[in-house]
Amino acid sequence: MNLKISALDYIQEVKTGNISAEDFVAATIERIQSVDDKLHAFLSVNDKAIDQAREIDKKIKSGQKVGDCFGMPISIKDNMCIKDSKTTCASKMLEDFVAPYDATVITELKQQDAIFIGKANMDEFAMGLTTEFSAYGPSKNPWNLDYVPGGSSGGSAVSVSAFECIASLGSDTGGSVRNPASFCSTVGYKPTYGLISRYGLISYANSIEQIGPFTRTVKDTAFMLNLIAGLDPNDNTTVDNKNEDYLSGIDVGIEGKKIGIIKEMMGEGIAPEVLSATKDAIAKLEGLGAICEEISLDMVKYSVAAYYTITATEAGSNLARYDNLRYGYDFPLEGYEFNSYISKARRKFGPEVTRRMIIGGFVPSAGHAGKYFLKALKVKSKLTKEINEAFQKFDFLIAPTVPILPFKIGEKIDDPISLFLVDINTVTANLTGKPAISIPYSISNGLPIGIQLIADSMNDKSLLQAAYALEQTVQLPEVPI
Amino acid sequence: MVSEEEIEHVSKLMRIEVDDHKEYVEKVHMMIDYFDILDSAGVDSEEISMPEIALSNLREDEHIPFDDKLIEKLNHYKGTYVRAPKMSS
Repeated sequence: MNLKISALDYIQEVKTGNISAEDFVAATIERIQSVDDKLHAFLSVNDKAIDQAREIDKKIKSGQKVGDCFGMPISIKDNMCIKDSKTTCASKMLEDFVAPYDATVITELKQQDAIFIGKANMDEFAMGLTTEFSAYGPSKNPWNLDYVPGGSSGGSAVSVSAFECIASLGSDTGGSVRNPASFCSTVGYKPTYGLISRYGLISYANSIEQIGPFTRTVKDTAFMLNLIAGLDPNDNTTVDNKNEDYLSGIDVGIEGKKIGIIKEMMGEGIAPEVLSATKDAIAKLEGLGAICEEISLDMVKYSVAAYYTITATEAGSNLARYDNLRYGYDFPLEGYEFNSYISKARRKFGPEVTRRMIIGGFVPSAGHAGKYFLKALKVKSKLTKEINEAFQKFDFLIAPTVPILPFKIGEKIDDPISLFLVDINTVTANLTGKPAISIPYSISNGLPIGIQLIADSMNDKSLLQAAYALEQTVQLPEVPI
Repeated sequence: MVSEEEIEHVSKLMRIEVDDHKEYVEKVHMMIDYFDILDSAGVDSEEISMPEIALSNLREDEHIPFDDKLIEKLNHYKGTYVRAPKMSS
């Protein structure tokens, strides 16, 4: 069984009867059993997946209507609720939490006969960018097991890259889909803010986070968007995409399109291999008829500080609900006074979550809000103005997804500032609500490099067209696991 | 610059015990110090723009029944109330 096929190829193969959903899903489970001890992409695997695939095969054989996914195995980051399944957020706090309802994205994929093959590992509560902050241990990069896969949706990226599923859903608050996509050589997409419902996504920083797909190809990402994008009455921040078809016309090309090269993401701190790959990608886009020019976004150098200030503030508020009474780990009430009970419950949070909660209490507090939180909001506003002005002149912006190559597990875990700066190229799209994509571009010394394209809000379709054009110029080796 | 005492005070208010000083207070101190970069952004006169959702775009304010009795999923409840420890022992 060829597990390396794209989502669209899988659907075609099942539709035409060349393969069955059951055989494919069974082979996928075997693959997980044979490689996931090394990779740790999954926190739990769906033990009913093969039975569910068999049901879909029956529907196909009996001529019943079958959903667009035809039993395609998809992994789901473990911060999205699947009814009656564990949703741990990679935290000890939620280790026994069984979701009582489906997230909207899950409802939509269920309706299309997708199979949720398992819940993917992540940094605890999506706070991190290496998956090392998972309370259940890090995922490993399939390109080199000594290296981080990126994060926070590291398990999602690993599962797609290492052929443990065809596609995955992650969430991207400051690059948490694009960063691991870049480090593991998959496509990773952060849509326009509001394009995909967040109902049923465990909240971290509501004002900027979005669910986004990981796939092997740009076309597969467009296919996934067709299934999950659009208005949701359960999420008032969703926007009406008028049932846009992201797949049609994806191959229109980029001739005559103007692309801005973000100066602040191409200078200080960038690894030479990453700079060289990005310049090469720009040359290829020019070869396809795009016009590329440098553009400066002054606020980028303050964006990481603004991002962490805003997200910690929202996290401090969101995580306040974990008081062990309504949410959280369960232990008996007897022998505790209210405050000490909650303090004991909060010890179930890991160190990074605890640090960000403390920051989240500090930066918006009386006496400090003016210096930190309000200033961060002002940087966000000014950055949004700058990028909106840039889109008056350019159709897309380009930069490397991450300025450095994947690094070794443990290398940066004790240096929070050096970890902060890994986010420098991705947080801008979150702070401004713009859609952005990481496209696998090259492999340097056995480690992947991704290129990021950003578009104006609601231009997701044209962004996918540009990404598809760039993707067609690339031939990459196969993952060595 | 913030002091470590201020960080410890906020932690206490948030009911977070910071028993490992290096892991929590020192690293948080380092992180908050990094945010001082915001002082040089020159944004003092900038207006803060917040997204607004028109009331007409909000869903109807009506009760949507849920199939399961959610309170029964908790370990500590009595009738329709969540049980909590005493405010003081």
